[in-house]
Parts: sequence; C-alpha cells; structure tokens
Amino acid sequence: MSRRKNSILILGLGNDILGNDAVGLLAARELKKEFGNNVDVAEAALSGFELIDLLEGYEKVLLLDAVVTKQHTPGTVLELTKEQFKKVVAVSPHYMGLPDVFQFAEKFDITLPKEIRILVMEIEPPLDLREGLDPCIQDSFLNFVERGKNILQNWNIE
Amino acid sequence: MSTKHISIDPITRLEGHGKIDIFLNDAGDVENCYFQIPELRGFEQFCIGRPVEEMPRITTRLCGVCPEAHHMASAKACDAVYHVEPPSAGRKLRELLYNVFFAGDHALHFYALGGPDFVLGPEASPAERNILGVVAKVGVEIGKKFIQHRAHHSAIMELLGGKKIHQVTSLPGGVSKGLTEEERKGVESRVLEMVEFAKFTIKLFEDVVLKNKAYVDLILSDTYSLKVYSMGLVDEKNRVNFYDGKVRVVDCNGKEFVKYSPNEYLENVAEHVEPWSYLKFPFLKKIGWKGFIEGNEGSIYRATPLSRLNAADGMATPLAQAEYERMYKTLGGKPVHATLATHWARIIELLYAAERSLELVRDPEITSPNIRVIPKETQTEGVGIVEAPRGTLTHHYVTDERGILKKVNLIVGTTNNNAPIAMSVKKAAMGLIKKGVQVTDGVLNKIEMAFRAYDPCFGCATHTLPGQMPLVVTIRNKNGEVLQEIRR
Repeated sequence: MSRRKNSILILGLGNDILGNDAVGLLAARELKKEFGNNVDVAEAALSGFELIDLLEGYEKVLLLDAVVTKQHTPGTVLELTKEQFKKVVAVSPHYMGLPDVFQFAEKFDITLPKEIRILVMEIEPPLDLREGLDPCIQDSFLNFVERGKNILQNWNIE
Repeated sequence: MSTKHISIDPITRLEGHGKIDIFLNDAGDVENCYFQIPELRGFEQFCIGRPVEEMPRITTRLCGVCPEAHHMASAKACDAVYHVEPPSAGRKLRELLYNVFFAGDHALHFYALGGPDFVLGPEASPAERNILGVVAKVGVEIGKKFIQHRAHHSAIMELLGGKKIHQVTSLPGGVSKGLTEEERKGVESRVLEMVEFAKFTIKLFEDVVLKNKAYVDLILSDTYSLKVYSMGLVDEKNRVNFYDGKVRVVDCNGKEFVKYSPNEYLENVAEHVEPWSYLKFPFLKKIGWKGFIEGNEGSIYRATPLSRLNAADGMATPLAQAEYERMYKTLGGKPVHATLATHWARIIELLYAAERSLELVRDPEITSPNIRVIPKETQTEGVGIVEAPRGTLTHHYVTDERGILKKVNLIVGTTNNNAPIAMSVKKAAMGLIKKGVQVTDGVLNKIEMAFRAYDPCFGCATHTLPGQMPLVVTIRNKNGEVLQEIRR
C-alpha cells in the first residue's frame, strides 16, 4: 500500500491546532507549492514507530519541525545533524522521535534515508489549542522556508 | 508537622507532562503524594462556532496517541446530533477500523512502555528499559514480529481510515469509503497474522511474567492494589465492546452498580475539582464526592483494560474468553483490583481486538456498498461514547439548528482515571519510600509503574508516548533545601 512516487520526501512534523507547533507543517505546505511535482510531501503529528513507515524507502528526507531548546530566541532557524538532534529531541514535542527510530531501524535492517536534513525553528512552548503563528514565528517563517528551499535546490530539485 | 519534599518532575515535556510530588514527614515516611497532569486549555473555545460535522476531523488533532478514539467518539456523537443510525455495513467498517487500532495501540504499550518493566525488571537501567532492551533480552525475532504487527496495523488504518493517522472516513450516518472484495482479502490476511501475534504475546506474558513468582507476587501486592469501582462499555450480553453498547459500572465486589446509555452520562458521572490539580476528578454522581477513598463507600472508579474486564461478564471471542477466565482463576476471582494486572487485561483485549477484527473482515456484509445514511433531520445535541485504550471516552456536543457548535464537553480516558492514578501513586510511594530507604532510580521506576499501568495520555495533545519521560527527583528538607537530586 506504499504511496511513494519520488525518492525525496519533505516531512513536516507538528500539530496544526497547537499554535507555533504547526510551523513545520506550514513550511512543508509552502515548499509543496514549488517542489510538489518532484518530491513527496507528508505531514505528521506522530512519533516513534509510525515515523519508520513514513521514512522507509526514501533516499533523502528534509524534515521540518518545531523545537523548544530554550537556548535560542523564538523564531531562530537551526539546522541539526542527526547527532545534534539526538541531543535536543527530549525537548521536542515529538518526544519519542527520530533517535529511537534510527536506533530501532538500524537494529532491524530497515532502510532509512541515507541523507536526512533537519531544519527546526525555536518556539515558545505551546499552551493553548489554537490555529496560527505568533508574530515572532511568522516573521521568521519565510526564512525557514527559504532555508528548506536551499536544501532542495542543493539536491538539484526544481 | 514538618515535611520533606520529593518531586518527580519530567523536565522536558511540552504539551502536557505528569509530575509527582511526594511529601515526607519527620519520620521519613510518605505523608502525602500528589499526581498532577497539566491540561491544554481552550479546546472548547476552539470548537465553538464551528460546524459539528468537522468534529471527527478536528478532535483527532487532540491526541497523537489515540486520534482514532477521538475520531470514533466524535463520529458517534455526530450520529446522535443528526439523529441518524449508520447502516449495518457502515457500522461494521467503523468497528473493524477501531479494533485494528486497538490491536496496534495495545501492542505498542505492552512492548514499548509497560512490558519492559517485567521483561527487564523494574530495577533495570532506564537506558535499557525500552523496546530495544526487550529485544536484547528475548531476541530479535520478537522485534521483527512487533514491526510486522505495526505494519499490518498501519496499512489497515490507512486503507479504512483514509490516512494512517488523523482518520477522515467516519461521517455522520456512516463512513465515506467501503471495502472492495480485493481489499477485504488483503485486510483478512493481515488480520490473520495479527491474531497470531496476539497469541504469541499472551504466551510471552505467560513465560516472562506468570512463570516468575516474584512478578506474580508483585502484581498481587498491596502496594499495587486499589479497590474502587470498575467501568466499561458492554454489549447486550454484558461482554466487553470497544465501539458500542452501554456503560456498565460494577462495585468493589463485582456487583452491578449502574448501566447507562451514552446520553445518560451526566446523570451518572460528575467531576470534582481540587486546587492542586489542573485536571478534574470524575466520580460516580449517584454516590457523590467522598474524597480519595477506596471501597464501595467511595465514588472513585477506574476506566482501564482491567476495569473493562471487571465490569463485563466475559469476552465476545473464544480465545480472549479463555484467557479472561484464566486471568481471574490465577488472580483469585472477580473483580481483580491489582493495578499491575492491567497489563494482562490489556493483552487479553489485544487478543479480543484481533479476533473481533477477523470476525468482522469475514462478515459477508463488510463489502456492502450500503455504508452511509444521509442525515436529514435538524441537528440538536448528541453524546458519543467509545472505549479508548486508556478508558471510557465521552464526547458531548450541543448545536444550534444549523449544526453550529454551542457547547462541547469531553471526558477522556486519562481524566476518568485521574483519581485512581493519584491514589495508586500515593499507595506505591507509601509502600516503597520508608525512612532509611535510598530513593534510587529503581524505587522511582516502581512508583512510575503504578501510573504506567494506566497507560496515561498526558495532555491529549500531540505525540505523547508516556513511559519514556525524563525525570528529575528532588529530595528536600523541611526548609526546602535540596538534599538529593536524581535525573534520568
């Protein structure tokens, strides 16, 4: 029942009724407008083992997410390596996230993408159920999308 | 009396986290214990003013752990709001989706969250106490079986629900998509393997837990016992049903206290507020709030896999029924009040969910194109109740004549269990923390086990997978000075 059409995936993580937590989803939607014909785009508000289903079989993945490290000003865009992501994942809403996925997949010879680029934006912790981004997140949104665009262009995606 | 303070506080949760505060007296024993779950605010306001038919899709966003449960409770509430009954095939497709969901969710809890306590032992290092630790202990083949089970679950959810997560197919009056014969065959072959996996899980539990006297003693110990009322949804023969039926409550002796229809929930359940908790404490309204006390004189009830089995007269499928009978025989008869037996009850439900899924996918009617009745009546008010993996889930909507929401009320599984979790944690803390006892990570984990058995879903917000939460424990003297701090 696989729906993979392309070898590259843009994966936005977050919850679209949890305010700034949606920033990764919104960025994925924005990039889909420009690159949607040549890459797959997925959104997920899930973690752990379900991510394996989404990632398995792709060659490259651009992952977009929101994090709370409390080490940066809200709106700061960061690119993390898988190793760095391991260090901050505990403060991500996606709690049992990628580190577990990588470790589990490695153990069971599940083929995950060879290249995963992880773009995240620092946010304030969401407390209320609501739609929309705070101004400081909105102000940085285009930069977030632009950084994603650069990665896709480096992968020769048009 | 002066107190010392131990705080078990997950330091990194965002969308909802549990926190346990334990207060010691001068003698070094536990004087009091508070279990707290922050709740996300604003859901009711978020929904009011929206068309009610959007609710089955909106409410799935509430929770990354059991969106399927919210989807289904919401769809049933919408049926009631629109005064429409889904046709038989539509109802069966919903129930099939729901049982496959249960089979996936219960397996995840057993292998990733609850099971490691037994397979690796409650004193094992937190770094090992996870599914990878389970695999390291009992073999890679088990991990592969688990992955396969999850894959079957995921594929069927996508087929029947339209999406792997945040399903969209249930609508007022039925479902939007039927099942072709070719699809049915594919689902059947997957479900057959899910039944085998459930049987394998029962055997694993027997080998690892039941054959270990120390674990059976732990399950039956007073530290992990809590005598309260039991709640669960039952069919017309008083058998466990996750999707439909009446809510049955039995007392501490197993005698039926009440059985009510979803639209009677407000006559039977009320919510108590405590100043130290963000979350309310539901109780049996006909008894009234009596405080955090055990026994029939109290009004606290549990809504868990164990309470569902206690509240029912049996299971509707043969293998699950046999295991149901074995559990009660092994643990001394009905009802069982041993909190840790919830893990056993959970895998009996896993077996039932897989068996029931097989019955449904083999039902000749399941491929019928008659899957939805188009609603024609004016929308008013409705209540939908299903059993979520974590307990009875109630959605209640009130609309105007155009179907625009005026009022929304939800009682979710973990909210039902707020009082019993607090009581179980307190009892575990009192049994485990004594003067002179070093509060080690193992001790903390044993306290955690008291609430992990409930599979609590903190915040009903996003992607929470309890059981892996980072914890910090701070032990303070009566002046608030830190004496000891443990992080993991």
